Amino acid sequence: MEDAVSQLLENREDISQYGIARFFTEYFNSVRQGTHILFREFSFIQATPHNRASFLRTFWRCFRAVGKNGDLLTAKEYHCLLQLLCPDFPMELTQKAARIVLMDDAMDCLMSFSDFVFAFQIQFYYSEFLDSVAAIYQDLLTGKNPNTVIVPTSSSGQHRSRLAPSECSPLDGVEASLFYHCLESLCDRSKYSCPPSALVKEVLSSVQRLTFYGFLMALAKHHGINRALGALPDKGDLLLDPPMDQELEKLLSQVSGLSISTPAGSSGDIANLPTRISPRISSPWKPLHHCQKVNIESDGSTDETESSEN
Amino acid sequence: IQTSSVAERNKPFEFRINKDQSSFHNRLLQHDLEKNYSGKQDNINFGSSASITAFPILHRATDEKILNSDRLTLERQKLTVCPVIDGEEHLRLLNFQHNFITRIQNISNLQHLVFLDLYDNQIEEISGLSTLRCLRVLLLGKNRIKKISNLENLKNLDVLDLHGNQIAKIENINHLGELRVLNLARNLLSYVENLNGLDSLTELNLRHNQITSMKDVDTLPCLQHLFLSFNNISSFDNILCLADSSSLSDITLDGNPIAQETWYKSTILHHMMQLRQLDMKRITEEERRMASVAARKEEEKKRESHKQTLLKEKKRLTIGNIARQWEIQQNRVALVTSSNQDKKDSDSCQINGSAAYEFPEETRSLDTILSNAVHGLSVLDSHLVEVEGDTLYLYGSGALESLDRNWSVQTAGTVITVSFMFIEFDEIVQVLPKLKIRFPNSAHLKFKETNIVMLQQFNALAQVRRIEQLTVDPQGNPVVNFTLWKYYVLFRLNHFNLQKINGTEVTQNDIVMAERLFGILAHVASSELPQYRLLSLLGESRKKQFCYMLEAKGKRSGIVSEESNDSKRVGGENASQAILNYTTRELHTEKLEEIKERKKFCETYIQDLVKEATDINMKNESLQKLWPQMFIELVRDAVIEIRNKNSYMKLCLQRITDQK
Repeated sequence: MEDAVSQLLENREDISQYGIARFFTEYFNSVRQGTHILFREFSFIQATPHNRASFLRTFWRCFRAVGKNGDLLTAKEYHCLLQLLCPDFPMELTQKAARIVLMDDAMDCLMSFSDFVFAFQIQFYYSEFLDSVAAIYQDLLTGKNPNTVIVPTSSSGQHRSRLAPSECSPLDGVEASLFYHCLESLCDRSKYSCPPSALVKEVLSSVQRLTFYGFLMALAKHHGINRALGALPDKGDLLLDPPMDQELEKLLSQVSGLSISTPAGSSGDIANLPTRISPRISSPWKPLHHCQKVNIESDGSTDETESSEN
Repeated sequence: IQTSSVAERNKPFEFRINKDQSSFHNRLLQHDLEKNYSGKQDNINFGSSASITAFPILHRATDEKILNSDRLTLERQKLTVCPVIDGEEHLRLLNFQHNFITRIQNISNLQHLVFLDLYDNQIEEISGLSTLRCLRVLLLGKNRIKKISNLENLKNLDVLDLHGNQIAKIENINHLGELRVLNLARNLLSYVENLNGLDSLTELNLRHNQITSMKDVDTLPCLQHLFLSFNNISSFDNILCLADSSSLSDITLDGNPIAQETWYKSTILHHMMQLRQLDMKRITEEERRMASVAARKEEEKKRESHKQTLLKEKKRLTIGNIARQWEIQQNRVALVTSSNQDKKDSDSCQINGSAAYEFPEETRSLDTILSNAVHGLSVLDSHLVEVEGDTLYLYGSGALESLDRNWSVQTAGTVITVSFMFIEFDEIVQVLPKLKIRFPNSAHLKFKETNIVMLQQFNALAQVRRIEQLTVDPQGNPVVNFTLWKYYVLFRLNHFNLQKINGTEVTQNDIVMAERLFGILAHVASSELPQYRLLSLLGESRKKQFCYMLEAKGKRSGIVSEESNDSKRVGGENASQAILNYTTRELHTEKLEEIKERKKFCETYIQDLVKEATDINMKNESLQKLWPQMFIELVRDAVIEIRNKNSYMKLCLQRITDQK
């Protein structure tokens, strides 16, 4: 509501032309469809899980073509693409996502679209959760018992210099079951969105020990978590989107048609040109996965008070 | 002056041999001598003296002596030494041509000698001439003389021929005031100087030497003929003294490097107006006139090119200064933003970037950089604007102001390319609309060291009216490192019909690929944005179009297609692309500030509304709870009232009267 009013104030001259009621209709329609985050500032996009999921989905839809083309890009270039949709998207997040894909190694490496998008999803949607996990992981590494309440610090990527001797070297990681125990308590009391603890258990039960980035990578690749989020399709279907492909074909034919330059132009009836008067495509939120019910709104109520200002 | 004629050679000479042959030594000597002179002529007899010097003594027959009392020819006699010539004190002409003489000796007694010819011998040093005060002609050509010396007493010398020797320096001739002809051809001279004192010299032959420069020629008052063929003279500056000589009328310079130059003849003629013959060819009046004109032009050209070099140097320094300032700016930005990042990274990439600008090796401390900056700023400009050919060059952010200058229509019309260097792209964005107006023919934009880092920045280029070529230099523009940047440019600016990007032609495939990669983005942007956002993202000009389209709802598809077709043909932007615009960082931060304030207001406003709503809701719920009870009480009260009809009637009447 706050954002709606804020938008209203920002564009009052234009909106006054066609009425406030219509404005609110459109606004909440777009929220439902997940298009409200287009070209908005980062603080808004980050504000609610629904916004985050919508953003992820939009990113996927807009740049799926890049993935389909098979180009491998650097983290910086992916960041550029993100900036096309959100001009002030912070580089930090992209780099953290890249670190997950590259296992914290050689940050200038090229990444494929699917790798990046799934890692980015985990990083962006669960960023606060991941910060806490990082803190817990550090504590476990150094042998401290993290059952006390943990307040995540802002920088999760830095290595704190603890002098306490640890039994396990960072390469070995931590013991999976102990890790799960800590995470479970975290999930129970966390105010931020977390992956369903059952699925986390699944991830952790398959290995004895694991590193921090190993864990994140496993989260990124887990199909169940992806479906629970509901923003992106399964990995296998990542490059498929038939309705969009149809639109694209029309655009392409128009582009190549124009360059052949028949002055009569394309015939008016079939040209489904990219202007907004073309009939609204149906909600992009039509369920991707028929089995799971997407319950996004459940977290929404508590998030009003948590929208960050910076 | 001739040597003795052929006929005279047959005159008998006699060489008496000394009768004293006591010593075995002498006999041997005589034997040796006789062996040497085996091919002698009959009439020449060489005697051997008993003295250890063993010089042959020459005697001539008396009648021979009387006939040719003043001349003696000893040509081709296979002499290795000069013989002693007895009793010929009146000799005036002596010819020793074509022998093997190594030293000039035994002629000191011929004090009336006027003509001495030692051409083609093996003399290594000039000597033994100090008594020949009457000598006028001295021919020492084709010998092995290394140094001019021992000519002090030959004050009457008229002709001195030293050609074909090994002389490297002109010296010891300054006293020869009567000398008219000096031949130093085929020697080893590289400098000509020390010619003063030769007040009678009319001919100086210096052919076939290694001369590069000359001095003092203007001190020769009578010099008319100067032969300098086949030397190493390459510039007229080295023989400037020739121009000062008023007597010279005939010079040769062929075979020198200077003679190969295009300006050779004109320069010589221009500087030496008195010259009558050059390289053995007469000079006509016409030639002279043309030469002076040409020479003047040459000088002007030189002055012009000198000016050009100065200007170029200044330009180079200015550009270097601008580059330095740019570096400092980048460093400052990098140091500020790298407070969270690894300092090493930013330092190393700055060092890489500066390599092209001849930066001295220095540590990247802010202090040294700043001190350099202070140096440079005080001396030179901090920006440069230049029109060269069809290109407008802008260096440094100060140059952007020059776009407001009053450019002449002609200049403005010729500019096809605009090149930006050392300017932040965000600053350029603000002046792009001006380009349309000021330089209507500009079709090619070049960016180098302009800090283009995001694909989004290319959206700003849509403000220009027309681009056919785009060049983004990798230097200073990190965006070029991205794989997709060209396709994005093609997609975003496809209504401009770009022909070339960074020099390579744009193919149909490229355009299709660009659309394939980014077409969906445009589609999503246009079809899924709520209307009010659409209007706010587009500029004022497009709003009208959209309002028009809003009204014509009934004939949607038809109009839409027409409009888009038209706009594409005319070169206008598609609505979907127009949404993709770029706001510079500063404007964006301003916007964010506004948004923050608005958010705060909205928060309080909504919270108030929410409170109100909850209040009302609470009241509603309370009412719902309390209503049944209230209703029952109402009914009970009413029933109690109406139980007694009479008293109720009275009560009502009472109520009515009370009301009044």
